[in-house]
Amino acid sequence: MEQLTMSLAPARTSQKSAVSGSSGEGAGSVTKRLSSELMTLMMSSSPGISAFPKSDANLFEWAGTIEGAASTIYAGLTFKISISFPSNYPYAAPIIRFDTPCYHPNVDIVGGAICLDILQDKWSAVYSVQTILLSLQSLLGEPNNASPLNPDAASLWDTPEEYKAQLMKHYRPVNDEGSA
Amino acid sequence: MATEALQRQIQGKWQNSFARLNRDQQGITGLLGFSESWTLATDFLHPRDLNDPKANREWDMTQVRNAVETLSRSKMLPLLLENFLEEMRKQQYLITNDVNELMRQYENTEDIHHIARLIYRLLEWYRAWVPISELGHTILSAYTLTFQTHIYSTLPPSFSRGFKQLINATFDLAGTRTAPPWIPPTPAPLQSSLPIPRPDLPLWSSFEQLGMLDRYESLISSVCYEHIEAHILETCTRKWGERMLQPLREWMTNKIVPWMVMPYARGARTAEEARSMLQGVGSRFDFHVCKTLSDLRTREIFDIIIDFPDSQPALEDLKECLQRVDQRSQLVQTLRKANRKRLLHPGADTKDIIAQYVSIIRCLRLVDPPGVLLFKVADPIRRYLRERPDTIRCIVASLVGDGESGDSLVDENEPIQPLQQMQVEDYTDPSWEPEPIDAGPDFRTNKPSDVISTLVSIYDSKDLFVRELQVLLAQRLLAITDGNFDRERRNIEILKIRFGEAALQVCEVMLRDMTDSKRIDQHVQSQKNMILRPTIISRHFWPPLQAGKFTMPGQFKQIQDDYASEFHLFKPDKMLRWLPLLGTIHLEIELEDRTVPADVPPLEAAFIELFSQRDTWTVDELVASVGSVDRPAAIKALTTWVDLGVLKDEGGNRYRLLEVAEDGFSSSSGAPRPARIVEEVPAVLTVEQQQADQMKVYWKACFIEGMLTNLGMLPLDRIQTMLKFAPGYDRTVEQLGAFMEAARREGLVTASNGLWKLSKR
Repeated sequence: MEQLTMSLAPARTSQKSAVSGSSGEGAGSVTKRLSSELMTLMMSSSPGISAFPKSDANLFEWAGTIEGAASTIYAGLTFKISISFPSNYPYAAPIIRFDTPCYHPNVDIVGGAICLDILQDKWSAVYSVQTILLSLQSLLGEPNNASPLNPDAASLWDTPEEYKAQLMKHYRPVNDEGSA
Repeated sequence: MATEALQRQIQGKWQNSFARLNRDQQGITGLLGFSESWTLATDFLHPRDLNDPKANREWDMTQVRNAVETLSRSKMLPLLLENFLEEMRKQQYLITNDVNELMRQYENTEDIHHIARLIYRLLEWYRAWVPISELGHTILSAYTLTFQTHIYSTLPPSFSRGFKQLINATFDLAGTRTAPPWIPPTPAPLQSSLPIPRPDLPLWSSFEQLGMLDRYESLISSVCYEHIEAHILETCTRKWGERMLQPLREWMTNKIVPWMVMPYARGARTAEEARSMLQGVGSRFDFHVCKTLSDLRTREIFDIIIDFPDSQPALEDLKECLQRVDQRSQLVQTLRKANRKRLLHPGADTKDIIAQYVSIIRCLRLVDPPGVLLFKVADPIRRYLRERPDTIRCIVASLVGDGESGDSLVDENEPIQPLQQMQVEDYTDPSWEPEPIDAGPDFRTNKPSDVISTLVSIYDSKDLFVRELQVLLAQRLLAITDGNFDRERRNIEILKIRFGEAALQVCEVMLRDMTDSKRIDQHVQSQKNMILRPTIISRHFWPPLQAGKFTMPGQFKQIQDDYASEFHLFKPDKMLRWLPLLGTIHLEIELEDRTVPADVPPLEAAFIELFSQRDTWTVDELVASVGSVDRPAAIKALTTWVDLGVLKDEGGNRYRLLEVAEDGFSSSSGAPRPARIVEEVPAVLTVEQQQADQMKVYWKACFIEGMLTNLGMLPLDRIQTMLKFAPGYDRTVEQLGAFMEAARREGLVTASNGLWKLSKR
């Protein structure tokens, strides 16, 4: 305990040492990051892409909307996606699926899984929801036919009429009731 | 009926007792001896009356000792003690009388000298009645206990007060050599082994013998506490310019420690022993010094912060004290309360609030480097500043070193560094430390960042600052008339370091516009000499400027058109659009009897030009001929001319040109009206207010649009709860309802069954 000399000066050098950080901190900073990404996304007016948390209780599950860019074969079509952030985001990529069936060389028509390098091995913490959405939007118009998830679509890519027919066969327009 | 057995038993007992008292002596000589001894011993022990000189008689101590010895062998000492205590009880009234008498005197005079006398008197009683040591320890302690019990029960409540005063008086004694008259000279047997007998030593010894040190221990230490408190309040209050803790400790060493030797280390024979005896209590007193000082500084903290950096030593004291006493939450609470009362109210200037906030940052960083205190204190200030409409403006103004703010918030010596964004914790950093233990749940790891970063982080995005910067820059650029933009260029360069190149691109364009206009103007002038000197700005990159839509009449229009056509020749792909409300025009108005020179804003010039067509106009006619100008602005422009004595207000909104000066105005230069108020209309719209409001709506709209796009149809209350993602959203669900209703009327959204959705585009 305290050493007392006749001068009464305490010989105290060691600071109080903190015991431990709170365990909730990790989740807290992810939440902060997601909030600020939402903020950026809402404040920027990127046409045709949008995303929002599915509920106010859970910031880790978002719903997104991507409109096909004009002058691509997907023009005028709207696709719903769901974005699920891991708890160690942004150190790991979010998991993204197409909810609207999307006939596309790099998209699994059944499960909606997406083959995009930045969502897998090329992921980096500098990407954000916005950059992902923009990448997806451009992926629609410029598929990577070298490594298709949907070989049919990849093979039909060079014949736009047939491709469009296939696309429209699978496409279901977004209806509000289903996703609310 | 006594049976045989019983008789035998009684017989046995009797023999036993007899043998004990007779101590195996012949006949009953033993008994007689015992009887004598008993009488002698009880007589000897009998508590005598001090006031009765007869009671004080000499005893033959050998006889007494023998008697006690006899009693002891007969195992009758307990009985003797009982008898003695009973005698004491009977004699107690003697002491009570003395106590009452002395206390009465004290109460009448409030003189501690009576208390001292009382103590000595009690001691005399105690010594007079004390049994000799041969009777053994048990009897002595039983006696002491009974005696003390009795005197404590006798002492009236006022004794505590008197005793405290007496102790207080000993502080003065500790330093002196000569005893005051009320302290008798040190009795020889009590001479302590300490080299210098102190005048208050007998007093303390008496206290101890009477058991008062234990009983009144808290009182004694409270006297010392009060002494310390009084000293600290006297020496340290509002003295922030130097470290006080060290002088205080020296004072403790020089003044208090010597005093402490008496109550706490009287028995010590060596300095080493005294030190170890004083250790515990000394530590307590040192703690009290720290606590008192930290309490004092905590009370003064707001003013200390105002005085910063002159008050830095006080803060260092506080830091040291806080490490010893845990008063951090106290400090936070006090400062928060003071801030609420003295800072965060409508009467305080935003500039002052920010300045104080910056001081708080600097001060609390000093006191608590990890920033926990700062975070707790700063939170309400930041929240308050966020509500103030002109916060950004003030911060930005100080960023560019606006002249009026005097000393800017930024320390000139601080290196300019980029804004630090909040970062996720880097656990791979080898010098990473966990959050301090008393950090709140949303404590941000406050890496020591610079003040500007902290201020900018009041808001969620730095875009707001950049926008305000543009407005401010626009104002300043337009105000420059001598074509010297070096200062602004320097500012921009500094800000680039802080906010990054990209954020300030727009400002860069604005600055280039200014230099370009000069170049273009030179070119145009070289083609055709013109009196118009426009500043040509790129509309897209400038904040909204005051854009009145009136057209200049007559010769002004001609000049503008000429310039525009020359410009068009030079830059065929560009169009000039005039901002008629900005700029100044130098006019010389030639009237019949005089020439009036004037530098006026365009609207004034336009009106006077119209008066060259005819002499009398009504306000409405004037407004109609220049286009859309609001009436107050028009009247203000006309008043300028009335003040210059060029026009005359004829009532009924009619104005007449005074070709000949009227009396009272005579020539305009002769009697200018001193009361004319020159009102500077800021060239750039003060965007802050409207934009802040718009911004909220905009954010709200963005968020609602975002959520409806992605989530489809939503009920109103769901929208309300989801809007908590929008920072700064503070509307009620009713307000939201009204907003949604307005949006529905505009066709942005539709509602059915209480569910809102976006209209199909």
